[in-house]
Amino acid sequence: MTTALDSPAGQSTVQESLSGIWQRLQGWLLEIVDRANPILVKETRQALKSRQFVVTFLVTLLACWVASFAVVGIAGMDVFYVASGDRMLFVYCAILAFPLMIIVPYTAFRSLASEQEDNTYDLLSITSLTSRQIVTGKLGSAVVQMLVYLSAVSPCIAFSFLLRGVEILTVAVLLGSYVLMSLGLSMLALLAGTLARVRYTQTLMSVLLVIGLAMVFFTSFPTTEDFIRDGYTMIRDGEFWLAYAAVLTFYVTTFLLVHAAASAQIAFPSENRSTPLRRLMILQQACFLGWMAVIPIFEPDPNVLRIVAALVTFFAGIYWYTMGTILTSEWPHLTRRVQRSLPQSTAGRVLLTWFNPGPGTGYMFAIANLTTIALTGLVLVAWNGSVAPAPINPEQAAYFIILGWSYVVIFLGVGRLLISLLRRLLFVSIAAGFLLHAILLLMACGIPQIVFLMSSSLSAGSAYSFIQITNPVWTLYTLLDTGVFSVEGQVLILILPATAVVVLLLNLRSVAAELHYQRRSLPVRVAEDEAQLHPAAVPGPTNPWDAAGEK
Amino acid sequence: MIDTRRPLIELRRLHRYFGETRAVDDISFEVYAGEVFGYIGPNGAGKTTSMRILATLDEPTYGDAFVDGFSVVDDPDRVRRRLGFMPDYFGTYENVNVVEYLDFFARAYGLRGKERLRSIDYVMEFTGLDVLANKPVTGLSKGMKQRLCLGRTMIHDPAVLILDEPAAGLDPRARIELREMIAQLAQKGKAVLISSHILTELAEVCDKVAIIETGRLLAVGRVDEISARSETISRVRLRTLGENRPLVNWLAGRSDVADIVIDGKLVMFTHDGGPEQQALLLKEIVESGIAIMEYTSKTKSLEDVFLHVTEGRVQ
Repeated sequence: MTTALDSPAGQSTVQESLSGIWQRLQGWLLEIVDRANPILVKETRQALKSRQFVVTFLVTLLACWVASFAVVGIAGMDVFYVASGDRMLFVYCAILAFPLMIIVPYTAFRSLASEQEDNTYDLLSITSLTSRQIVTGKLGSAVVQMLVYLSAVSPCIAFSFLLRGVEILTVAVLLGSYVLMSLGLSMLALLAGTLARVRYTQTLMSVLLVIGLAMVFFTSFPTTEDFIRDGYTMIRDGEFWLAYAAVLTFYVTTFLLVHAAASAQIAFPSENRSTPLRRLMILQQACFLGWMAVIPIFEPDPNVLRIVAALVTFFAGIYWYTMGTILTSEWPHLTRRVQRSLPQSTAGRVLLTWFNPGPGTGYMFAIANLTTIALTGLVLVAWNGSVAPAPINPEQAAYFIILGWSYVVIFLGVGRLLISLLRRLLFVSIAAGFLLHAILLLMACGIPQIVFLMSSSLSAGSAYSFIQITNPVWTLYTLLDTGVFSVEGQVLILILPATAVVVLLLNLRSVAAELHYQRRSLPVRVAEDEAQLHPAAVPGPTNPWDAAGEK
Repeated sequence: MIDTRRPLIELRRLHRYFGETRAVDDISFEVYAGEVFGYIGPNGAGKTTSMRILATLDEPTYGDAFVDGFSVVDDPDRVRRRLGFMPDYFGTYENVNVVEYLDFFARAYGLRGKERLRSIDYVMEFTGLDVLANKPVTGLSKGMKQRLCLGRTMIHDPAVLILDEPAAGLDPRARIELREMIAQLAQKGKAVLISSHILTELAEVCDKVAIIETGRLLAVGRVDEISARSETISRVRLRTLGENRPLVNWLAGRSDVADIVIDGKLVMFTHDGGPEQQALLLKEIVESGIAIMEYTSKTKSLEDVFLHVTEGRVQ
């Protein structure tokens, strides 16, 4: 039986339509490659030709084959009767972890560092590429390499599934986590690459990075083993997905923050590098609050709530203190470029001024955010606060939150005042400002500790003494461990918040100075260029009569 | 659209300090479309620093620089679209051939599709790299790398080209070719700022020069203008009709004449004075009864001007 397609005319029609589809597909692919990030295109070309990539790929492939033959060989006939997929999966994951957790992130770091070594960084930075595009391109190149390594191991992973003993969802979650881990590490490595501008910092960063990556690589083994063993039950537990979602929220927001920080590091100095970071910090803050709001739904027990409130405030305190040390070290003068985009309206100036670069606005920004978290924490503590006190009572939790808040306000404020004082004499970079904050904290913790150890009368008893008031770690630990009275909480609750308010007031003068900046109009030449680049749309007719008139 | 009345490059009281060192100290000049502007100075004079500021790779301590009216401090993104910078070092990638290298930079400057392919073809033809299209960049000779770097600099057809020591290390033929390429670019209306140690190269290709030493601008303008402005000692050569002894005796009595050398009928000496003073000197010689057959005053080269204007100081 013949069909119309078998005739010569039919065959040529099929061929034409197939070649048409192929040409369209080729056109789309060319369009995609044409619009792809230039760094991604260049680095993919380079990577595919590089010896390091070829060797790593072949070694990964070879290791998988050797492992497969070895395990099957050792198992012998048992392979047909005993489920050995879980063991095989662990071996393959261990092999995959090496390129994904060491090679790919380290290559990402090196790709930025080698730009500096090969004198290509200057050439790259004067192109039309934005700093964000440069970082994204480098990251994209890491993703491509990651996918190639995954493709090398994927047949083996499919083989482990065939050997039984592991289910598809466990494999999917495990590989997804590996990819996320590799991506996150690559992002951190890129940030490290942007921080290392000179040779000795590059060497230092390189060593620290290798140590860090090796630690992650080795700790991935027990975690993977546990998950392969318990994955089946874990993924059927709702709490697992809740925890996974919380971790994922933290991962995504931190990833975006690190990406923005890396981009800010290589952006030109007159660019506004602070506001995008502050927006992302707010996003992370919103996620913090969101998860705090979710907790009472799943855990209405007030005792648990109290611990969670104290814990979340504790982590928020560390977070805002760390971010605050960077924000309060920013340069106090706004560049003319930044001044062009300052908020103009009253509402905008009231609400958005805190997103402007500057140490004063940075201080207020960090404190305002921490205060929001602290107040939310206090509300959670107050929620059915009369319930039996176990393991920490409501008073303890409330004191912990208030004293923790006070410490952050005091340390950030004093550090900021010191930096502004030093800036009258010498140039203080953001890194130097950060170090100054760290030294201040270390001195506040260390000096009382030394005095305590040297004084026989103080060290005779282990009780809390007021000499430790500057040591937040000691004070807050003792408060949680032994209760409010052991740290003479009633006195501390007066002294520390009062000191925090005084420090806050002392900082207000310079904060006010940063609020005087007003929006600058665009220079004529820039306005001309802007009009040429983005011509204003011609207003269309607003009613049928206008359109008729035009005709 | 380029406004020819507006300078394409403008340095306005540019300062750049590195601690106590004043790498660039109050420098101002302008370069217009179609001009080739030579930037001359000894090592460490501040040429590269000011060029890096113009290329948005560094920031001035005070003052500002403008490219096509855009500040390098406030609008580096707009400056970068209009500027091509060729530093005094090669920046080459491994595992990349000539076409891929140019393709990457064309993409990085936002060129898409056929426009990108056209630019690459044009640049390869202009620089004569078309025969080496598939050769790895790292395997190119120094001259070819220089050509590639020039190609990269002009891939996005910028209105302004800043070339830092482009002729360094090139053989004579490559230098001549480079000079021709620069002249062609200027003819196309581009403003070219070029620094070089090889002053004879610059003298032939530059419309104007700026001489800089220890960060300070010593002179700026056309070479002949600077020569005229500077009170230089010129080398004069005279041939007398008869005995040259009377001329030598006459010259020996003058305070503005020195280093008299007799070579047969020729008398050579240095004269401290400008063109007017030299004309007066010749008139006085003739009026004193000495018959002069030939009078030559050597025109000052860019090297003479440079050596006269600068003092060889370093910081």
